[in-house]
Amino acid sequence: MNKNKEQLLNKRYRAERRFRLYGQSAIFMALLFLTIFIFKIFSTGYTAFQKTWLIVPVNFDAEMMMIDQNPSKEDLQDADYYDIALKSMADLDQNANDDQKNQLKRMVSYFFEKEIKNEILNDPSLIGKTKEVYLTASDDLDQVFKGNYPRDLPEDQRRVSDYQLKIFDQLVAKGKVESKFNISFFTYADSREAELAGIASSFMGSIFSILVCLMIAFPVAVLAAIYLEEFAPKNRFTDFIEVNINNLAAVPSIVFGLLGLGVLLAIFHLPRSTPLVGGITLSLMTLPTIIIAARASLKAVPPSIREAALAMGASRMQTTMHHTVPLSMPGTLSGTIIGLAQALGETAPLILIGMVAFVNTIPGSPMDPAASLPVQIYIWAESAERGFVEKVSACIMVLLGFLIIMNLFAQIIRHKFEKKWS
Amino acid sequence: MIKIKAKDVDVFYGKKQALYNISLDIEENQVTALIGPSGCGKSTFLRCLNRMNDVIDICNVKGEILINDFNINDKSCDVVRLREKIGMVFQKPNPFPKTLYENVSYGPTIHGMAQSKQEMDEIVETSLKKAALWEEVKDRLHEPGTGLSGGQQQRLCIARAISVRPEVILMDEPCSALDPIATAQIEELIDELKKEHTIIIVTHSMAQAARVSQNTGFFHLGHLIEHGSTDKIFKNPDNTKTQDYITGRFG
Repeated sequence: MNKNKEQLLNKRYRAERRFRLYGQSAIFMALLFLTIFIFKIFSTGYTAFQKTWLIVPVNFDAEMMMIDQNPSKEDLQDADYYDIALKSMADLDQNANDDQKNQLKRMVSYFFEKEIKNEILNDPSLIGKTKEVYLTASDDLDQVFKGNYPRDLPEDQRRVSDYQLKIFDQLVAKGKVESKFNISFFTYADSREAELAGIASSFMGSIFSILVCLMIAFPVAVLAAIYLEEFAPKNRFTDFIEVNINNLAAVPSIVFGLLGLGVLLAIFHLPRSTPLVGGITLSLMTLPTIIIAARASLKAVPPSIREAALAMGASRMQTTMHHTVPLSMPGTLSGTIIGLAQALGETAPLILIGMVAFVNTIPGSPMDPAASLPVQIYIWAESAERGFVEKVSACIMVLLGFLIIMNLFAQIIRHKFEKKWS
Repeated sequence: MIKIKAKDVDVFYGKKQALYNISLDIEENQVTALIGPSGCGKSTFLRCLNRMNDVIDICNVKGEILINDFNINDKSCDVVRLREKIGMVFQKPNPFPKTLYENVSYGPTIHGMAQSKQEMDEIVETSLKKAALWEEVKDRLHEPGTGLSGGQQQRLCIARAISVRPEVILMDEPCSALDPIATAQIEELIDELKKEHTIIIVTHSMAQAARVSQNTGFFHLGHLIEHGSTDKIFKNPDNTKTQDYITGRFG
């Protein structure tokens, strides 16, 4: 009898140990996948924060720029920089033939002309002198310098020719190739050229979309939640509404995209591809999330507080506004931020309302066309150029950083205000 | 003098009847205790007196309750005005999660009883003094009311209730969550408060009913079995059920 009992006890302990092991291995697996995921993104993406520059001597010859020796600001604006830009590149190899000169030109971005122009606009005294100017390397050479380019492929399978590689190696040997922090990744809009593509447009697009979404979804959702929780009679009709709000939260996001396309664009003719439409579409999606969070936190306010206020002779409205709603705000706000974070990562509905269009301007208002960060990731992931691979990972890093900050903020709000009174 | 006159009050929760034909007179400036076993309807009756049952959707109250000869179940009765006149203290101390000062000043604020900050300060001070809490908290009026001990919280709730100078104070087992020392303080307080207010207290403790009340009503299964002076109910009840309950044979 005693022995049986001991066996049974041991069995129970073993079962408990096994169960803990299952739990621990589940956590371990989750952490492992997360680590692999993050490592993969960082190892691919970190190079995107560096940009390769070629240092090329440029002779600011007034005659070639078709201006006189003492030009005004307007003259400098209107001057012709293409010829000196071309010549500077061609001068890298004195013996180059026409085809090779063309290849030399393609070693830098098509912005080279502008970069030279900016140089002289900053310092007009350069006229007639020669100065070494930093020019953005083409995306392929950028990848070569970062060691991501398969140099040993046969030449006809490469976008970089042997000749370009030879000149590039000479420049590297002379120390005329430099890698610097890639500011333009954050300040430039999207571009077809990987070396010039940045996230400014999609970042601003995301911010505007989220703001529009917040301004619509938050008041509507909070009012709906307060009404349903505090004022509405409990009957079949309100039950039906409640069930449907929960259903709405489970609707695939692409359906909301179709709604935006069919109603906002087709019927109301709002401007296509804009954060305004994107934000409205996302707010439809965020609405149920916020309503559910707000109702849960209203429910969590102890009924004794409501009774106390009512018994003091507060009206229902006063009870709600003075006591229940302030107490529910931390939960509502953190639910809102989590809803917005979800909206921030949404891609499908934005693609349907046209925010997938190629936008190479930075939007100044929600009415300007823009992309958004997740859509930017999608666009770049589709591009063939090698230079976009690292950009995709870098953009994911920015998006994840954004999300982590928002979730952190939600946590802080929740903890700070809940502790205060409990 | 009769302050509250209940006539044939029936209460239903949905289809279930909770109170049957309650008729009870409550004397002004006295303490009336309502006793009875759990679920007998004494709290339900108490909540009829300030229409707190309105909050419960399925609750239905029938009959007349006259306070100062005015039927509070009449359509013309305004619950906000009614609850200003009839304060309530609950079973579990439920101060607002705000400062002590805000707790006491809330009622006067929403009813517009103070014209200036000074007047409000005075109301808060007198209310806290009447609730025998002033000496303990006068230096921390702007700290959260939830930081007090249970007994202090309940006295804060009493201070909050009397801040609007109600004519009647309803107390729903105000000491059931408190220790004996805090209970004794509250009982002393009740004795003091009856000079200015009419008090109706629901209690589980028969000793408490005997100690604090002048009149007692005994409820059982939704019926008011017997009511009268506390002395009579405890010493010489008419009904055998009352006798059995008081002597602890059931309940």
